[in-house]
Amino acid sequence: MKGKHIQIFGLAVTVLYGLFVAWIYWAAPKNVGEVSTKARETIEQATNEAKAATGTYQVDSAKFQQGLNAFRAENFVLARDQFEQADPKGIDPATQYYIAYSFYRQGWGRFTNDDVLFEKGLEQVDKVIALDREYKADDPNLNLKYPVELKQELEEGLRITADDFNPLRLTRERQ
Amino acid sequence: MKEENQSELAESSEEDESVIDGEVLTEEHGNAEVADRSESDRPLLPASKTPKDGNQRNWLLYILLPFIFLTVALLGGLRIAAETGEFIFSRPALICLVFATILVVLFFRTGLISIGGWFSESLSTLKNASNAAVMVAIFAGSVQVFNSLIPEQGLAFWVVSFCFLWTLGVSYFSVADASRLVRSTVALFVAAFLTKYFLLANLTSTSSGNWLQRLWDDPTREALTYLLDLPRYASATGYVQFFAVALFLLGLFLIPRSTQE
Repeated sequence: MKGKHIQIFGLAVTVLYGLFVAWIYWAAPKNVGEVSTKARETIEQATNEAKAATGTYQVDSAKFQQGLNAFRAENFVLARDQFEQADPKGIDPATQYYIAYSFYRQGWGRFTNDDVLFEKGLEQVDKVIALDREYKADDPNLNLKYPVELKQELEEGLRITADDFNPLRLTRERQ
Repeated sequence: MKEENQSELAESSEEDESVIDGEVLTEEHGNAEVADRSESDRPLLPASKTPKDGNQRNWLLYILLPFIFLTVALLGGLRIAAETGEFIFSRPALICLVFATILVVLFFRTGLISIGGWFSESLSTLKNASNAAVMVAIFAGSVQVFNSLIPEQGLAFWVVSFCFLWTLGVSYFSVADASRLVRSTVALFVAAFLTKYFLLANLTSTSSGNWLQRLWDDPTREALTYLLDLPRYASATGYVQFFAVALFLLGLFLIPRSTQE
């Protein structure tokens, strides 16, 4: 091997090994077995970042459909998991809107709402608004078509007012 | 001056022939400084004589040296949790970067590494780039060796950091040659290793359970662990760090003064 070839090889190996060391400290695996798991996660993340940067990012339609089925079957925990897998970058407004809506539907109660889920829903709907302020859901099962409507509903659910003690409220329906 | 030397030569030639030979040799070089060259001017790695030697030198410089220093960078921050046995990757404190910078400056200052011998317009771009990569690896290894030797937190961190700062400061102004710097660095690192992985590790409580149980089992160590804010690491950490420090010192001995033939 010529000196020049050794230098090129050495430079490449040094850069790769250096990146590996930096990555290890960034990922901080807890044991040797976790190294491969973290590596896979990093590769997936990098791939999604690259796809988003090049405009070729697409939501996993199969996972999205599974999430939608779970959402319609009122299995909101599973639905959120499937939606998150369908849109790992969290940049698709439709998928993110379903996640926000799942927090609303799971947290809604005839007598009282689950504040924790509503707060999470509020955070999520803010994310949707940041992604696409003009977004409109085309699903006929969703009564609240716009993120601002969902936001209003969630904020209303979190607020305690005299109106909350109105017995007629028991007749209201989930959106 | 030359005339004096020649007259001395003439006088001494009458007394002892062997002395003449020695003096003539000095005159041949025409420079008295050549004979007085300090140890630091001599490259630690001899220059290659055959193409095969040149290849070995390249393997050492561009493969082995970065591998050694990057392995030190990898292992230097690795700790193993006492209770769970999990890896903890401790990122270097800012002070480690400062110490590593001083150490690398000392390498240049004492002549352990000659800037002109590593980076030059007369070298090819590839060689300069390769040398820069090796230099980055040396710096990363230096940062992590300090990360390995300096206690993570508490009073011990400040005391050991101050000792390092003091010693490096003294070395900066007083150590003038490479071999002395290497010897002083070895002594410094060995002392720091013994302090952290023998003295402080033995003061750290290793008993498990809740704090009351630990206090009951070993009150002195538990109190010292609390007062000195000592982290609880498994003894395997010491073995890993011993390897890291030994590897760094090996790397120091292998660094050539110059990469030019």
